[in-house]
Amino acid sequence: MHELSIMQALVDAVEAIVQEHGAQRVVRLVVEVGEMSNVIPMYLRNAFLAFREVKPFLAQAELEIHFVPLRLQCEACGVEFQPQGYRYRCIECGATRVRVVQGEELLLRNVELEVESGNPGVQPFGSSAVREFSNSGIRG
Amino acid sequence: MAEIRTVRVMENILKTNDYVARRLREAWDQSRTYVVNLISAPGAGKTTLLETTLPVLMGRYRIGVLEGDIETERDADRIRALGVEAVQVTTGGTCHLEASMVEQAWRLMDTELDFLFIENVGNLVCPASFDLGEHLRVVLLSVSEGDDKPAKYPKAFRTAQVLVITKADLLEVMDFSVERARQGALEIQPELQVFVVSAKTGAGIPAWTQFLEQRRRQTFPEA
Repeated sequence: MHELSIMQALVDAVEAIVQEHGAQRVVRLVVEVGEMSNVIPMYLRNAFLAFREVKPFLAQAELEIHFVPLRLQCEACGVEFQPQGYRYRCIECGATRVRVVQGEELLLRNVELEVESGNPGVQPFGSSAVREFSNSGIRG
Repeated sequence: MAEIRTVRVMENILKTNDYVARRLREAWDQSRTYVVNLISAPGAGKTTLLETTLPVLMGRYRIGVLEGDIETERDADRIRALGVEAVQVTTGGTCHLEASMVEQAWRLMDTELDFLFIENVGNLVCPASFDLGEHLRVVLLSVSEGDDKPAKYPKAFRTAQVLVITKADLLEVMDFSVERARQGALEIQPELQVFVVSAKTGAGIPAWTQFLEQRRRQTFPEA
């Protein structure tokens, strides 16, 4: 049930981005959830639906969840593999020292906002942490 | 006219927690406070392990304990009964401790500490996701839980540096193989240090407490 805390953190981060851009509302949130993140996508979605009812800027937002399967790399022989169940031993040479290539993610990938045209948004100090990626040409 | 703007973020959703955790770690490095985060299922013996660990260390070190529970002051009272300062963090339903809860509780403590033990909420899933700024994460597995636990709760074992198998006095009556538990855990985290202890008989406690002292010395070498 820590998905609720995680969604709270996500909603806080998104609210800051909404304010920074002077946006009217959020259209879509895209998140990455790794197999080893200990987060169950369905519970995350349910937590999102609960927040959507109380946060007006999320009222019509969609949550897109990308599940990232666990991939490991053997530190001895270098082979990359997807573990079967929770046996992290190398499938080639049997070594137990492995590095996680992917699958621990718990990431907010991007946020789609609806912004009044020409509104540059408020740029707080140190806003470089949030980098603007593109102004897609969609207008409504 | 409105436009759709895509903001690329690519940030950890728990970055606020990680930020507070980093701030805590810096503060503890400054004050030379060695911080241990204890994680286990409910009833694995976290408080009992502390009750046997603290008397060994308390003469020579200044020690504090943060007790995470959903409700009640019971665990903190057990620690206070030893004469050790304890702050109870009641999460009111939250299934894990977060760095900001720890920061708030730690600031209530009176003195500078050499060791701070954080007893997380009894839960082998959620606490694994939250960095508390600790130097050492210890996962406990009691003999009565079964030796297949590591495979069922991999993240708790993957993110820990130490596994303490508790209630070893029950080994003779339980169908629990220390070797199976050890192998299962090492398969998930080959760097794990494994201790087998019994708070009841005291077996294994000296090795465990010596390890804690050694780790603290390594982290904070004498100037």
